[in-house]
Amino acid sequence: MGTMRVQPARAGALGARPSSGTWSHFDLQLALYALALAVIGLLMAYTSSGGTPLEAGSIFTRGLMWLAIAIVMFTVAATIDYRWLKTLAWPVYLVNLGLLVLTLATGSGVGGVSRWVTIGPVQFQFSELAKILMAVVLANYLAGRQGQLKSLATTLGAFLLVLPALALVLVQPDLGTSLVFGAIVFGSLFLSGAGLRWLLLAAAGVLAMVPVAWAYILEDYQKRRLISFLDPSADPQNSGYQLIQSQIAVGSGGLFGKGLTNGSQTQLDYLPVSATDFVAATLAEELGFVGGVVLLLLFAMLLWRILVVGWRARDPFGSAFAAAIASMLLFQLMVNFGMVLGMMPVTGIPLPFVTHGGASLTSYAIGLGILQSVAMRQGRPDW
Amino acid sequence: MSLGEPARQVRLWPRFIVFALIIALVVATLGLRLFTLQVVSGGYYAGLARENRIRLQPVRAPRGLIFDRTGRQLVDNVATFAVKARPADMPLSQRPAVIERLATLLDISAADITEALDRAAANRFDLANVARGVPEEIALIIREEHLELPGVEVIVEPQREYPYGGLVAHILGFTGAVTPDDLARVGSLGYLHDDTIGKQGVEATFEEVLRGDYGVEQIEVDARGEAIRLLRTLQPAEPGNSLELSIDVDIQRDAETALRWAMDRIGLEQGVIMAMNPQTGEVLAMVSLPSYDNNLFARGISTADYQALLDAPGAPLRNHAIVDHVPPGSTYKLVAGAGGLQDGILTDRTILQTRAYLSIGSTKYWDWNRQGFGPLNIYDGFGRSSDTFFFQIAGELGIDRLAHWGSQFGFGQRTGIDLPGEVPGILPTNDWKMSLMNEPIYPGEVYQAGIGQGYNSFPPIQVLNAFAALANGGRLLKPQIVRRILGPNGEVVDEIEPQLIRQLPFDADVLRTMRRAARRVVTIRQTYNLVDLPIVVAGKTGTAEFGVRDAKGRLPYHSWFAGFVPKDPWKKDSDPNGVEAVSRTDSELAVLAFAYDSRTTGNAATEIVKYFLQLHYDLDVDLRQDWILERDNFYGQ
Repeated sequence: MGTMRVQPARAGALGARPSSGTWSHFDLQLALYALALAVIGLLMAYTSSGGTPLEAGSIFTRGLMWLAIAIVMFTVAATIDYRWLKTLAWPVYLVNLGLLVLTLATGSGVGGVSRWVTIGPVQFQFSELAKILMAVVLANYLAGRQGQLKSLATTLGAFLLVLPALALVLVQPDLGTSLVFGAIVFGSLFLSGAGLRWLLLAAAGVLAMVPVAWAYILEDYQKRRLISFLDPSADPQNSGYQLIQSQIAVGSGGLFGKGLTNGSQTQLDYLPVSATDFVAATLAEELGFVGGVVLLLLFAMLLWRILVVGWRARDPFGSAFAAAIASMLLFQLMVNFGMVLGMMPVTGIPLPFVTHGGASLTSYAIGLGILQSVAMRQGRPDW
Repeated sequence: MSLGEPARQVRLWPRFIVFALIIALVVATLGLRLFTLQVVSGGYYAGLARENRIRLQPVRAPRGLIFDRTGRQLVDNVATFAVKARPADMPLSQRPAVIERLATLLDISAADITEALDRAAANRFDLANVARGVPEEIALIIREEHLELPGVEVIVEPQREYPYGGLVAHILGFTGAVTPDDLARVGSLGYLHDDTIGKQGVEATFEEVLRGDYGVEQIEVDARGEAIRLLRTLQPAEPGNSLELSIDVDIQRDAETALRWAMDRIGLEQGVIMAMNPQTGEVLAMVSLPSYDNNLFARGISTADYQALLDAPGAPLRNHAIVDHVPPGSTYKLVAGAGGLQDGILTDRTILQTRAYLSIGSTKYWDWNRQGFGPLNIYDGFGRSSDTFFFQIAGELGIDRLAHWGSQFGFGQRTGIDLPGEVPGILPTNDWKMSLMNEPIYPGEVYQAGIGQGYNSFPPIQVLNAFAALANGGRLLKPQIVRRILGPNGEVVDEIEPQLIRQLPFDADVLRTMRRAARRVVTIRQTYNLVDLPIVVAGKTGTAEFGVRDAKGRLPYHSWFAGFVPKDPWKKDSDPNGVEAVSRTDSELAVLAFAYDSRTTGNAATEIVKYFLQLHYDLDVDLRQDWILERDNFYGQ
């Protein structure tokens, strides 16, 4: 290890990397930011537990359990050499699609949707895991297309690869998560060096799909949400309700917030799903602008660290994977926080790490674990 | 760029910069928006959050009670379960299921529930009435199922209960759920969308008195609108005041018994009997049959029950005493007689020749007995109810002068009785007919008007009020149902004084002559054996034709009797004919009976009054005669 430290970067021999990775190359910042976000999520679960946070089965105790599981999964994923994933990419892809089909077939959800699969005592939302698995498959694909990255075929291939998963999520129906898949493709193609004109063409194609989607794909409730986003007061009791109450929650938080468990909007149930989709509103209400800024900065730094890992990765798989994780994280932050602030329509996209929910947390833990595995195995100089 | 980076990345550094800029842009945008919401507009949103959870809630005031003049309680406020719904809290997707379940539980049609919810559609945050008076076990089931019935609430609310039911239904009326029309009328007075309001009777006319003042309290609510705690009472509720009626339930019951007996005996569809104190205008009894159970309405009547009442023979919902136009018949001879005396057309010594008929052109106007009574003075002319006698007076007076005297007695104007729905009646004049039919009143029609036929038609209350004015010496008073307003603790808040409509412009001896003439009606046995009662009664019969002639050319008719009893009614040896007694103006009982479409051998109304007086004065005699009540389309007086 000592020899690697002093090795000049340009001489960095690929063969010198130990397959078990180098824990000294473990990106501590990456882990700490994510952990901090997860702890904030726990705080929010605590405040949303309605006065009995320590009772068995409360969302706080369940949040604790999921965090423990997530840490274990993160460690396991970091320990395993990510290069095994290259070998396993196609089986992973099939498992991925299989899980989504399973969700459609047996899943349950609220109001005629199928999003959760019940396994024993827990319900799991496989579309969360599917995002990470998709990132793996996509990164592997792009890594194998070195030299042809600028070709139309590469861009087209990436989209075709994602399409089945995206479609399976869309028909659940889960518009939000399917859009996340789109963000993953665009982000990883962009940062891997795909042809810009093809990306622009694809973006134009997506825009052209909007009217078609409106007419044939979107469910009525989804359209209502979009309409009420444009004019929340049109239907203040239904879809506009959440947007209005969320803004009231955020705004009334003020500079320093009302204090943990003191948010009237949250505690009196004005704010629906205050521990999940609208968790940022709870945070903004109870911890104020200061709390909100801390949250945003943690996300910004986490994203920065993910980019740094991707930048430093010699292996194109690592770069592409980091790009995919960063894209989905950024997209989810933008859509979820934007929704809470009344800038985005209501979708069911969770706020990574913070939103209460085992699937999202453990999936991201696995994603970051793989990223750590990448970071630990690039044999880069340590400065 | 550091030398340590892979060559591939170096090539891509602008893209990493762009991506980093996008991250910065997104985070900055979100941060800016956060700043705007929380720091710039924080105060505004803090206000919204406070309003969100603090709600002003009205506090209903207990509704005032109603007592009869002897202090008997005629209405109760009982606690009942009401099922209400707040449409805003009922998700559209669950609405059909909720409505269906409620319909099953409450045994009312889904259409009725939908209508109730839609009626409140403009105010989705307010409670809408679904059902009132719900049985406790059903109410408990609905409460237990509240998770499956979002937006549905079970509320304990007071409901009116009328222990005397149909006996005083037309007087008390009832309360019911406010309608959009009601709200448009009284909305500014703080009525709620699920409120009750007086709909009929004194419940309606004295709504403002009975209702009290609703209070306001500030409560903290959660998002479901459920109260968490009372913050403070901004304004306490003030209970409504109570009413003491002039009605005496005992007299009311005697009157109803008498009327019901005759109606059952004859097979009548409708009838009216009223008693009034001529000194004050206080109505002691007012019975209109058939009646209805006002409790049905207080509980919230079903569409089917309501339709059944609307379709029932005799129109039970109508208070025939004040809302119907009926010809007064010979009772109206009071007007022609008094008017003729006052105008000097005749004196109490004038003798008029009565005949079988009077002719105008080729038309013959027959006396009711078809042969005339020979020469008669006013006492016997009134006593015999001779038509040709009063044709002559009416002819002399002319239609407009006759109408003048009629209107002095209050005919053709609402009496102003404190009950809703009173009609003014029709008092024909030349102008009236010109404006309506573009022709003047013909001489024959003047004759008709003189005996209370033709166009003349009035609600029975006007006939009674005219005779009450005769009995008290010429004071036309407003009939009153309510005599006192009582506070919540029974203290007298307001004493309703007798209200003089007008002092009749008759000389005292004109009215005395007419009272004596009314006594003559009884003493010459125009009213059969009524004179044999141990009390002095004076009055006038009436047989008022209406409708369409039968195959024999006969018209159906109503029977009337309107009269009064002097203050000390018992016959005296010193005054064997009761003439002195009726000369006085101290009567405290005027009475009227009206038998709709009676067609009896004798005057059915007289029999009704006779029986009522027997009951009221607790007389030992029973002078009722069955033959009088035989159905026999006789050609009456």
